[in-house]
Amino acid sequence: MKITDACVYPRPSGDSSVRRMALEAHELGFDSLIAVDTPACDYAGVHVASGVVIGEIPAQDIAVRMKRHRETGAFVTVQAGDNGHNRAVLGMKGIHILCGIHGTDRHAFDHVTAKMAADNGVAIDVSLAPVIRERGVVRQRALDRYFDLMLLERRFEFPLVISTHARSVLEMRSVREFSALASVIGLDIPDVEQALSNAGMLPSPSSAVKVIQ
Amino acid sequence: MTSRPPTLREKRRYVLIRVEPAGTVPDQKELYFAVHEAVSSLWGDATAALIHMAVVAADNEYVIVRCRRGTERELAIALTTVTVCAGQRISLRTVATSGTIESLRERIAVMRAPDTAVVLPDECTIDGRRYTVCNGSGQKIDVIEKGFKNTTRFFLTREDLEDI
Repeated sequence: MKITDACVYPRPSGDSSVRRMALEAHELGFDSLIAVDTPACDYAGVHVASGVVIGEIPAQDIAVRMKRHRETGAFVTVQAGDNGHNRAVLGMKGIHILCGIHGTDRHAFDHVTAKMAADNGVAIDVSLAPVIRERGVVRQRALDRYFDLMLLERRFEFPLVISTHARSVLEMRSVREFSALASVIGLDIPDVEQALSNAGMLPSPSSAVKVIQ
Repeated sequence: MTSRPPTLREKRRYVLIRVEPAGTVPDQKELYFAVHEAVSSLWGDATAALIHMAVVAADNEYVIVRCRRGTERELAIALTTVTVCAGQRISLRTVATSGTIESLRERIAVMRAPDTAVVLPDECTIDGRRYTVCNGSGQKIDVIEKGFKNTTRFFLTREDLEDI
């Protein structure tokens, strides 16, 4: 079971090098990271997987960008949008993670999209960034969205992943802190362990189809 | 005013935290305001009053924060949401919880890294820009860009500097 932070942004998007983030992740108790726009590597005993984050753009454009990234072997994360956008995205092949649910409106991720995520094996990202960095109404809204997400997760059992979306080593948190922060949104320790290991169990982007005889 | 007998005193717990980035020595009062803001914004005033948080000691990058017994978890969660202190970006890592300050002081003494002679370059150049090396321990190296306006801190490793 690999403990993974599902999204970090090393340099040039952030202020820390990928090696420094891997070093920090090792000290914080992680086995792997998904680093955006960074080639895959291993450092300090931490496997750094390559990731791509596609912003909220029309579904056709996402399909075009997907083709471009298919050969790179990167984990593809797509930013959530309104309900129609999310349904279109969850129906596409090759998407691993849907992120940014906390920033969408209440109807953007409903029981239909939850079932689609479960059927297609697309993980839903629970970013701890709004819980850590935001204050007041923004954080309350994010927590409200996460409470709703947990309700759907218990019913439809789609995979969850947890991430910090850290752009600096200062924004990274330890596994114990992940558990503590996740308890605020209603995830208990077994749920957190499952969510932290889910990223390692997502279908490998570069794996070819295996023929079993 | 006479102090209460020990049986009537409220039980307290002390949380040892390490302030990052390395070499940061925060002002005790400013850190109190930062932690208090984090506690009350996350848990509300009623729970903040119950936690009864106070910064009781600071020893360079190590700080001891006090809370009421039974509220350590709430304090630890709130500590993870502290990102800024006196305008400076920081991160607070919870190291240990204890019933006495003395045992945490002993722990600080054990954890403090021995002074090993580490040779660091004074400055380096990355992408044509000059940076001052401000901190380094083990593989970790922090650099700050030279200049008046841009004082962003970058977090690198020795290998990163060798590759440049």
